[in-house]
Amino acid sequence: MLSFSSRIGSQVDWALFGATGLLLCCGLVVLYSAGYDPESSASLFGLASVEFSSPACLRQAVHIGAGLLVMLIGMSIPTQIFFHYSFVLYALAAAMLVCVAGFGVVVNGSRRWLDLGALSIQPAELMKIALIMAVARRLSRSPPRDGKGYGLGELVVPLLLIAVPMALIMQQPDLGTALSLGFVGVAQLLFVGIRPRALLTIVLALGVLAYPAWHMLHEYQQRRIIVLLNPESDPQGSGYHITQSKIAVGSGELFGKGFRGGTQSQLEFLPEHTTDFAFSVLAEEWGFLGSVSVLVLFLALVSSMLRVAGRARDLFSCLLAFGITAQFFAHTVINVGMVIGLMPVVGIPLPLISYGGSAMLSLLFGLGVVQGVSIRRLMFRERA
Amino acid sequence: MSRFERSPVNITFRIWCSFAVALISVGVLVARLWYLQIEQGAAFRDRSENNRLRTLYVPAARGLILDRHGEVLVRNRPSFNVELVVEDSPDPAQSIAELAEITGEDPAELQARAGKQGKRRRYEPRLILRDVPRDLVARISAQKHRLPGVAISVVPTRDYPHGGMSAHVFGYIREVSGDQLKSPLFSGYLPGDTVGQYGVEADLERYLRGERGARTVIVNARGSKIGEAFASPEKPGADIVLTIDRKVQAAADEALAGKHGAVVAMDPATGEILALASAPQFSPAAFTSEMSKEAWAALVDPKENRLSNRALQGAFPPGSVFKIFVAAAALNEGVVSPAEKVWCPGHYQFGKRSFKCHKHSGHGSVNMFDAIVQSCDVYFYVIGQRLGVDRIFHYAHDLFGLGQPTRLTEGDENAGVMPSTKWKESYFRREEDKKWYPGETLSVAIGQGAVSTTPVQLARALAAVVNGGKLLKPRLVKRVVAGDGRVIEEFPAEPEVIGAAAIEPEAAKLLEGAMVGVVAEARGTGHRAALPKASGIQVGGKTGTAQVASRESGVKEEDHAWFAGYAPAESPRIVVVALVENGGHGGVAAAPIARKVMAAFFGVADEDSPPPVAAKPRRPAAVAARAPLSREG
Repeated sequence: MLSFSSRIGSQVDWALFGATGLLLCCGLVVLYSAGYDPESSASLFGLASVEFSSPACLRQAVHIGAGLLVMLIGMSIPTQIFFHYSFVLYALAAAMLVCVAGFGVVVNGSRRWLDLGALSIQPAELMKIALIMAVARRLSRSPPRDGKGYGLGELVVPLLLIAVPMALIMQQPDLGTALSLGFVGVAQLLFVGIRPRALLTIVLALGVLAYPAWHMLHEYQQRRIIVLLNPESDPQGSGYHITQSKIAVGSGELFGKGFRGGTQSQLEFLPEHTTDFAFSVLAEEWGFLGSVSVLVLFLALVSSMLRVAGRARDLFSCLLAFGITAQFFAHTVINVGMVIGLMPVVGIPLPLISYGGSAMLSLLFGLGVVQGVSIRRLMFRERA
Repeated sequence: MSRFERSPVNITFRIWCSFAVALISVGVLVARLWYLQIEQGAAFRDRSENNRLRTLYVPAARGLILDRHGEVLVRNRPSFNVELVVEDSPDPAQSIAELAEITGEDPAELQARAGKQGKRRRYEPRLILRDVPRDLVARISAQKHRLPGVAISVVPTRDYPHGGMSAHVFGYIREVSGDQLKSPLFSGYLPGDTVGQYGVEADLERYLRGERGARTVIVNARGSKIGEAFASPEKPGADIVLTIDRKVQAAADEALAGKHGAVVAMDPATGEILALASAPQFSPAAFTSEMSKEAWAALVDPKENRLSNRALQGAFPPGSVFKIFVAAAALNEGVVSPAEKVWCPGHYQFGKRSFKCHKHSGHGSVNMFDAIVQSCDVYFYVIGQRLGVDRIFHYAHDLFGLGQPTRLTEGDENAGVMPSTKWKESYFRREEDKKWYPGETLSVAIGQGAVSTTPVQLARALAAVVNGGKLLKPRLVKRVVAGDGRVIEEFPAEPEVIGAAAIEPEAAKLLEGAMVGVVAEARGTGHRAALPKASGIQVGGKTGTAQVASRESGVKEEDHAWFAGYAPAESPRIVVVALVENGGHGGVAAAPIARKVMAAFFGVADEDSPPPVAAKPRRPAAVAARAPLSREG
């Protein structure tokens, strides 16, 4: 382990760190504005009362502090540990999802949380990382036999790995998380390769299954998708979120309305402006220049993560880093696409920007794992 | 686990592919942001402004209407309107249904009111119920949780401290109608605004209205007010000082109570209207709140015709009142001398026809003075014939303004008719009707036939007789005063003279003496107009009893009663004309009304003074003054 710590300085991907830090700062600025409440004195988890005009921003800073610790932990855990315990973790997460279905706590009409007395956790968050590891392990252990890609027969096990947690999460119901899980798993499969005939067969089968799947969706999810196609049709109802968000984004114009100058967010026309619609606040107050700058930062972060995956010392590490990157990227695109009216309103927060403790912890843990892959890229495999 | 280099997949290629996917995705997002923020940015900026700003109008209080001494006749009071902000209600129809249940109104009617107000800006309240009583306001407030979107606003509305007094003068205000809104004259008005619809309220709308204020407030998504963006204060309307004297007006209204008719009191020196009453009255307050269909039907009932201002719109034959003007013409034209006597046997033979005098036994030998005091028809048949209809027309129409609109208000006015040969030629279409028959002149000479005049016309004409011949423009408004006391417009302090009747002073003196005789002498037809002796005020005047052409055959209608008088006789300060439709004899039905009005003006006790000691017994009223209609073919 001595050699590990001496090498950290030279092997750490500083670009990844830098982009992460900048995005976290942007997030705090946006949250200061979005969560501004002049009459509040924020209470830090009931421990201390602090004079600060934006409780959301203050708490998010605490989340980030904790998240950076978690990130260090993610960095320091050897990749082999993830390899060894990936299926155990996956099984644990799946079991918890089943428990949620049985005795979960209902919040906002969805059964997502497991109440463990002192803390309540969202098993879906655990499953996100567990699935990436499980799929990475499976694919790195059994690469395509003929080098051209997986055939149908070889895909049965990995697809089942993906489909089971998706189905469990979809019935919570949490369409956004389920689809992003599926997206990440399939991205890993495609990364390794699927034979064209097998891919075509799967696409056709999905097309046929789409009809019953549509009817399995909850009505509010169906409506959200319909409203996405024509949000103005229901300005007071489901389309309200998208319409108000588009007004916020559009009214930012080139330079934005300035820090804390966003009328849409400050006057609460914009719903959930600290969480799902944080990007609208950014776009309204900082304009086209600000929102494109942040997107460029995201692209830079994703590029450096991909670079880490490309340099990984083995296929498991590569698929692990790629999976985390894909998930991070999927969340970014889905969230931004949602607030600018290109994607359904599925309730996925913007990574590193939106307010939320558990999302921040799991994101920074994932980034720590990717950093760990970077650090260990020149190490030879140690014998277990 | 295999080493990177020995991996069966080309990692580098795949990483580049992934990067390409990320780049394209971000490119799509940037393109979309370009579209929203740059291409459509200005439009979205507008929409965000519309989101946060709401303009609320603050209605201005209308100006007051005061009498000539500054007494308030029409003022404002706060009223409660029930409004609906559709955007604040998740289900407006449900809110209206609940409101209907609480108020007991017809839900369909309320729904129609909410719907018919045309296009409105977002969040602009729709007026549902106007001027609701306080107890209903309390009930609605208590049930607020059932009524999302329903709001109560406090706006000034009209208050009439003297009830329906002189409502025909003020007129009333009412919500601006759909037709008015379409007219360019009402370009500054919004649906739900009130506007003067009649009388002074309508004529002087431009002064009374004031300017509504606007407050643009910043609201949050829940519609709560966060701050004020900008505001323009409302400007109350200017006050109107009328020429009306409240005490005189009250006496006129009271004297007319229960009758159909009109009273006009006028200052003969200036043309200022001191009182203008029409009966039956209506209550202008009825227009401030929602009016039931029954109330509206009663208001426009054609039999009662309450909304008609009979002082301006009621044109009837003036009967014997007209003789004053025929006498003035005859003296001025020299067709008769004051001393010349005419024998009245009770009828007058003209060609094959016999024209009756109202006194069938005849007045005997009468000169002009006697003929006016006793209202002898035969005397006026004779001098009327000497004058000819066109000379009568010249005096009555051109010099005394009869048959000409007075333009006292901008509202409807009946100009009446003053016949002449020319008039007949242009009025009738059939050739045989166009010819003037000499017998018609006899009817005109006693104010019958086609002659019709309004009370205001007669007041103006009588004023011209007693003021030295000036035909004045009657006026209702003295001045317009801003809230701070600044006079905005002064209506001519100097009387506006339309023309001069140019009666020779001696002729005028004789007529005045005769009119005093009508009231003061025992045989005079108008003695009931006399003020109590103790007051020392001498009244002059002339009665008129106009025979009514029955509207339905076989039904005998009572005659219309007129009295036109003035006082004090030596230097007249007031002219009063009273009309009672179907009132019977002018001396009985109309003269006491004029007396009451004059008593109020001079501030003397009113009492029905006993007739002067009579040399002969007084004629019974029922058969008294019946003037014949001309019956020539």
